[in-house]
Amino acid sequence: MNTFLKQLQLKFGNNDDFFYLQETLLDTPIVRMGFYSLIDVVRTKLSLQTYIKAAADANLTVDEFKNILGDIQNSTAVDDAITCLLQGKLLIYFEKDDSYVIMEPAPKPLNRAVESPTNENVFLGSLNSFTEDIETNIGIVRKQLLTDNLRVKSFKIGSDEITQLSLVYYEGRANRGLIHKLIDQIEKNKHKQTANLQQLSKKVFGFSSWSLISNFNQTELPQEAVNSLRKGRAILFVDRLPNALVIPGILWDVFCLDSDRNLSLPLMYFLRVLRVLGAFVTIILPGLYVALVSVNPEVLRIEMALSIAQTRIGVPYPAIIEIILMLFVLELILEASIRLPKNIGPTITMVGGIILGQAVVQAKLVSNLLIIILAATTIANSTIVGLQQSLALRISKYVIVVLAAIFGVLGILEGLVLICAYIASLNTYGIPFLGLSKEKDEINHG
Amino acid sequence: MGQSIKHAWRITSIVGCLGVLCGCWDNRDIDHRSLPVTMGLAYHDNLYDVVLQIPEPQSNGTNIRIIKQSGKTINEAVDKISERMESSVDLLHLKLILIEKGYAQQGLTDSISSFMRSRDISPKAIIAICNEDLGPFFDFVKKSMSPKGTTLYDCFEKNAGWNPQMALTHIWQVYRSIHSYTRDIAIPVIKSGKSGTIDYEGSAIIKNGKMIDQITPEETLLFNSFTGQSAQGKIEVMDKASVLVLKSSMHHHSKLIRDTPYLDVQITMKVSILETKGSVSSEVIKQELKEILTKRFNRMFRKTQVREADILGLGQYYRNKIPRTKLRHWRTEYLPKLRLNLKVKTIIQNEGNTKLE
Repeated sequence: MNTFLKQLQLKFGNNDDFFYLQETLLDTPIVRMGFYSLIDVVRTKLSLQTYIKAAADANLTVDEFKNILGDIQNSTAVDDAITCLLQGKLLIYFEKDDSYVIMEPAPKPLNRAVESPTNENVFLGSLNSFTEDIETNIGIVRKQLLTDNLRVKSFKIGSDEITQLSLVYYEGRANRGLIHKLIDQIEKNKHKQTANLQQLSKKVFGFSSWSLISNFNQTELPQEAVNSLRKGRAILFVDRLPNALVIPGILWDVFCLDSDRNLSLPLMYFLRVLRVLGAFVTIILPGLYVALVSVNPEVLRIEMALSIAQTRIGVPYPAIIEIILMLFVLELILEASIRLPKNIGPTITMVGGIILGQAVVQAKLVSNLLIIILAATTIANSTIVGLQQSLALRISKYVIVVLAAIFGVLGILEGLVLICAYIASLNTYGIPFLGLSKEKDEINHG
Repeated sequence: MGQSIKHAWRITSIVGCLGVLCGCWDNRDIDHRSLPVTMGLAYHDNLYDVVLQIPEPQSNGTNIRIIKQSGKTINEAVDKISERMESSVDLLHLKLILIEKGYAQQGLTDSISSFMRSRDISPKAIIAICNEDLGPFFDFVKKSMSPKGTTLYDCFEKNAGWNPQMALTHIWQVYRSIHSYTRDIAIPVIKSGKSGTIDYEGSAIIKNGKMIDQITPEETLLFNSFTGQSAQGKIEVMDKASVLVLKSSMHHHSKLIRDTPYLDVQITMKVSILETKGSVSSEVIKQELKEILTKRFNRMFRKTQVREADILGLGQYYRNKIPRTKLRHWRTEYLPKLRLNLKVKTIIQNEGNTKLE
């Protein structure tokens, strides 16, 4: 047995789902290798037999036949062979001339079909969503964007485990500087091990991992992804991740969906203004409650002040404790409803509704008004496009709550300035987060 | 790693400083503050009597609490009240300051400047004069206005109980009138009502912070329309018809000839007919309205001339005509000589569903 086979045996021999079969093919001794768990062996064998039959009928030589089967590799490339095997390819080794062929087998059905999105809801837009398989995802994009200007660059990154990463961009519209920078970064940090997006963005792209708002805008909707391609942005696909990572992410992703444009203009603006207002309500309302109730009650009309004072009679805690307590319960409910299986989820909603809506108020733990504020905040929070941005929004409202408890209405302003300054400081390789999405290079570099 | 620990330490210390240095523990929640809506003020025997009307929210409505204290200064009296209450008194929501007539006649200058100076009383608070002792008046308030804490203030609230024949004067306007050469002010005079909430008795003419005379509600209506408050909604009752004033506007033309000021005023009123008695024509109504308004206005104007108190602010039209050094004598030298020519123009905008003859 030669070194090539030995090395592979050493690597995979102790896996029970690894097969190593010595056979003859057109009277030549071969070794077939692969994983039962990745390859549908029966179907692969059948197709191989069909090949052999055809080859025998046509009187092909072994060398000619090898060409038909697949790529011929020299046996020195052990690492390539290992990668191919792990990707679920069938390896046929020819002992006679110490070479091997990578054959595309019938795969085990390990991918789900293209389905409608589960994390993002679409209103009058295309209902496809990305899946875990990177090739399928790129295929979906190609289907959506029929142009010869679409470029796909694939990379294999990682040392111990290999992850496939594909960069998709629209030639002629994408910012060339950005694309070069991205390719450079990936090439430079190819060998680094990344297991999740956090590591990918820190190790490969060098973004800060403490940023509240990610440099990627994740979307599982092909329509949105393709639209950002048209606007000159790039998409990253990571194998096994059912999302497109739109880079750079910008602020307007939070408020604008491409499918809005399927509606008429006034309706589109209505929806977008609603989302912007929703974002403001989310970050300001809890802080405003604290500021008006405990620091600046003079801002309220006297009637309002009296009725608020009335709802707070007997409430033991100051407004800040009260609101942080209830916001905490609310966050728990939100998190629990994501974690729970779909058939238990409604129970939590019901229990949460009863606890928040009735019992807490009757027990005089918090005021009636606070419940209204919390409900409005939570509802408004969900008007934002994309879950990760709404998370950032959920966190930033605490900054305002704390500042409002200290400085009142002025504190809200300070908090807003702070948040605006933070958002303004964000950028992706010099492209500001607050910038507008436009096809810059279409004009400049045609 | 060291870098991030340093970073975390820095952020922690900033947040810590924020917590320690801001003094946020002094903030009182709204339910631990007493929010007086009305303050009554009298001055007897060198002591200020301060009465606060504090609405106290209960779980089923609002109670009115009337608390009275006296002190050498207004603040001392308020402090005494605050001491005796379970929650702190917060004058931020004070909407109405009610001054006993006797005190208003002695002169309000000190109190008005201390209201303006204080940071917690809004200069927008409304000021009124109570033609009655404060004690009985507030007893009446407690008895008759209980279910709602803000009734007294609502009488002056423009989008609630305010009527065009009531003067609506804020503290800052009184302060301005005290320090202005060419403008005085009218303050509404009220007392406890026999039927209804309060009785409105017209307005006090305030000159240099002192109440010197009084004008009737009808004259106040003219005063209001003269100073730009809308006179909308007022029903003029005449012998033959009653009308609803929809809109009133005013044009002035002022000139100064040999130190005698002349002023032409044209009031344009748009009215709608409400009631008629017998057969009247629109000309008759116009004529009658003109006569009534002219008579009323001249009476009020004569009063201001005699009292040398320029509540209509007529001096404002001569500020660019009289030199600054002489302007301080506006009230004494120029105002009594002022020749005013009033024209009333009436437009009947709406005759109702039945036409006039």
